[in-house]
Amino acid sequence: MQLAPAEIGFVFLLASLGLLAPLVIMARRTKTARAFAIALIVGSNVVGCLVAAVCFWRESHAVVDLSSFTPFPFALGIDRLSALFLLLICAVAVPVSIFAVSYFDKHHSEQRRSWMWAFYSLFLLSMIVVVTASTGFAFLIGWELMTLLSAGLILMEGDSAERRHNVFIYLLMMHVSAAAVAACFFLFLPYSHSLSFGAIRASGTGLPGGVRATICLSAFVGFGAKAGLIPLHLWLPRAHPIAPSPVSALMSGIMLKMAVYGFVRFMFDFLGGGPWWCGYVVLLAAAVTGLLGILYAIAENDLKRLLAYSSVENIGIIFLGLGTSLVFLAHGAPLGAALALVAALFHTFNHAFFKSLLFLGTGAISNSAHSVNLNELGGLQRRMPLTGAAVLIGCCSIAGLPLFNGFVSEWLTFRSLLAGSTLIDTKAQIILPLMVGTLALIGGLAAACFVKAFGTAFLGRPRSTGAEHAEEAPFGMCVGLVLLGAGCLATGIFPGFLLRPLVTLAQVLIPGAGVPEETLSIARILPWTAAILLGTGTLVALFKRRERVARTWACGLPGLSSRMQYTSTVFSKPIRFIFAQVYRPDRKVEELPADEPYFPVSISYRSVRTTSYERALYRPFVEVFVSLAYRLRRLQTGNIQVYLLYIFLALVSLLTFLRFQR
Amino acid sequence: MKITLDVIQVLILILGAPLVPAIIARLKALLQRRRGASLWRPYAELFKLLRKEELVPPTSSAVFRLAPVVMFGATLCVTAFVPVVHVSALFGSRGDFFLLVYLLALGRFFLSLGALDGGSAFGGMGASREALVSSLAEAPFLLGLVAIAILASHADLASMVAWTLQQDFFNISAVHILAFTSLAMVILAETGRMPVDNPTTHLELTMIHEGMALEYSGPSLALIEWASAIKLHAMLALLIALFFPWGIASASAQRGIFVAPLIYCGKIGVLMILLSMIESAVAKLRMYLVPDFLGVASALSALAVIFTMWVKR
Repeated sequence: MQLAPAEIGFVFLLASLGLLAPLVIMARRTKTARAFAIALIVGSNVVGCLVAAVCFWRESHAVVDLSSFTPFPFALGIDRLSALFLLLICAVAVPVSIFAVSYFDKHHSEQRRSWMWAFYSLFLLSMIVVVTASTGFAFLIGWELMTLLSAGLILMEGDSAERRHNVFIYLLMMHVSAAAVAACFFLFLPYSHSLSFGAIRASGTGLPGGVRATICLSAFVGFGAKAGLIPLHLWLPRAHPIAPSPVSALMSGIMLKMAVYGFVRFMFDFLGGGPWWCGYVVLLAAAVTGLLGILYAIAENDLKRLLAYSSVENIGIIFLGLGTSLVFLAHGAPLGAALALVAALFHTFNHAFFKSLLFLGTGAISNSAHSVNLNELGGLQRRMPLTGAAVLIGCCSIAGLPLFNGFVSEWLTFRSLLAGSTLIDTKAQIILPLMVGTLALIGGLAAACFVKAFGTAFLGRPRSTGAEHAEEAPFGMCVGLVLLGAGCLATGIFPGFLLRPLVTLAQVLIPGAGVPEETLSIARILPWTAAILLGTGTLVALFKRRERVARTWACGLPGLSSRMQYTSTVFSKPIRFIFAQVYRPDRKVEELPADEPYFPVSISYRSVRTTSYERALYRPFVEVFVSLAYRLRRLQTGNIQVYLLYIFLALVSLLTFLRFQR
Repeated sequence: MKITLDVIQVLILILGAPLVPAIIARLKALLQRRRGASLWRPYAELFKLLRKEELVPPTSSAVFRLAPVVMFGATLCVTAFVPVVHVSALFGSRGDFFLLVYLLALGRFFLSLGALDGGSAFGGMGASREALVSSLAEAPFLLGLVAIAILASHADLASMVAWTLQQDFFNISAVHILAFTSLAMVILAETGRMPVDNPTTHLELTMIHEGMALEYSGPSLALIEWASAIKLHAMLALLIALFFPWGIASASAQRGIFVAPLIYCGKIGVLMILLSMIESAVAKLRMYLVPDFLGVASALSALAVIFTMWVKR
């Protein structure tokens, strides 16, 4: 068998992540063995980047078929879409792994570290299997492993009762999702007669309408739950914050994108667009997800939870693009569909970068300041300038500001929504342009949210002794952060090099689409904008003036203390006040002692966001399940005679069934 | 030729900017039967501030020094989008209004960060309020522009202006009226004018923009003040260009270039008179009424977008 260089690289990537690295770590638990394994993980991901780049920029396929060794057909292959996601995984995994070296060293015991790295490596492998699978069987194996390994990584960080409960919810929802995904594959089976992607794709156009609609809905639920679309997002803010920071970075940065990959694979590659209503359903869910996600994020004070909710928001933006694309497809406008799809895929890519950057930044903060509660941070920019600079780039990117990568994809989404006005005499003509308002509100709130996050964590005065004595993160962490930050900035100013292959990819997925001119114009204007800003900066720096440190104005009082600063809670108060209907806060003020209202010794105030609609949505399901389980429990008497009766009855019923089947 | 014109337009917006708030202040003074300060005072003030030494708070970091520069640079970029005397712009057909709005957001983002870096309550107050106002202003701003862009079938401002130029002023549609109203409201909020923010006060209970600039001094303050003047000027020019472009020079009326500056001065003069009248007659809104104000703007702009369905055939 002749292997192309790309295929050799791919096999090396699979083998080192799946076999070599975990084996080396677990076989010899020494420092050198682990160092070798980590080098192997980083190195193989670099190779993976190259392989993916070759497949993405030039149309070349790589196939690894293991069907002759496995009971079910198990084959991996890289086409353009897979290459994009493989590139995403490997490009993010390199800096995250470098960061994780110092992070795991500081936070975990010698023995646990080996397990961590073994799981970490396999977790990466499972995601690579998902995006490169070219049979349904391989896809489902990767999908399941991805869930289980990430749950394992979360549990390794500790196993309190609360953590177990959160992981339980995570696993529960992920299995509902996995069931829906499996259903998608099996619904194809009667028409394709095989689970290989080629056969599924070939059968995609000839499906009856009902089956097609069921597959759409099932894919939407399955992948939507994994992506964290509201109201299926319940697991996300529970599972992401409790994982170790590098793992959170992988989960938020990459694992959520696997759902985007699956959705694109099914809806665009296999089905070639769904029924007409499907795009609108996705749009609606995406708009709700984006808005509620960012509103919840802005109310959070725990940096990791804030980032988790902001992931929900970004998934909303991505699905907004996908929904728009489906609407265009349904109305037979391939050019607009291609533009929206490019926007969604580009945002997927960008979000992977800035979200993992921000989660790693949070790891660096918790490492130096021993807290991720915004109300206990502050003044970190002076103490950890490099981390601060990288996190600032991440915040600007996630807020969708020009010159940072988040802007480019949001801009493309805006333009695709605006292009909806060309769908004359359809409802989309109005609905899509109106969505501009939703996306703008999401963008505005995201900017507010990350002004708050960066401003309270890195600027001003430290709010705790931990923050006051913080020091710059260790070298390895800084390298990871700087790499990701540079990536965000580079794709933000020169998006052209990624947009061109993305357009080609969109043309593969949407036959008949031309090159949307928007993708060209944005790549031309951004370097000029950057040049003007840089020019202004240099001019000002040239006229560098005298500077004197003077005390901050304190209204004539002797000085300011950190308690006089705005905290994260106060900063978001106006927005929480305006959107009180969304939060429905449950407030409690306690004054002690109770019998002296005018001279209280202590006053405690607590305000918790109630998740009323979540309860209203989930409670009926839970109640039905619990009552069903209670009823089923009556079968379980513990009496052996009854069980023998069950067996007898089962036997009789099977025999009668066989008798009448003839 | 065209590029010279474009550069001249940018220079008009940048160099003429300090005059705009000065004239408004003068007009307000006249309305209130005061004499008012000289129109050239802002220039003198900028010159003075640029030469002074800078005081920085002890808690501040590089972000504090970076913020005014980014804000000024972003505002400079904004001026390259707006046609003033000729139907073209430096970034004309390449950039569009989404980029314009987000460049403004970039400046605001950094100024808010700079305010938080001072470590005082005032900076936080200003930044927090700005976060509220700007996050709600973005949607009506973009929707209003989207409505016009749908009619013009173009998203870059120069083409939108060129399209409006071909229309008959007396045959304007409901879309234009709605979009103009909402954009005018948004621009009041964006540029920190009454009734959303009071540009003349330093009272901590009311200030938004002033609260953010409170810790700045010397050249940094000069950059911030100049940038906000440019922003005001560019926004007014945007309103003029989108809704009252008649009189502007275009490719078919190249000779109009000599009259166009005069007509532009007349139009912006009318807008400034209107602004000064509003600012003299209206009291500042309570903080929590601002969302209602912007909510009305959002509703109007959404209606404008909806009405394009009937206007555009």
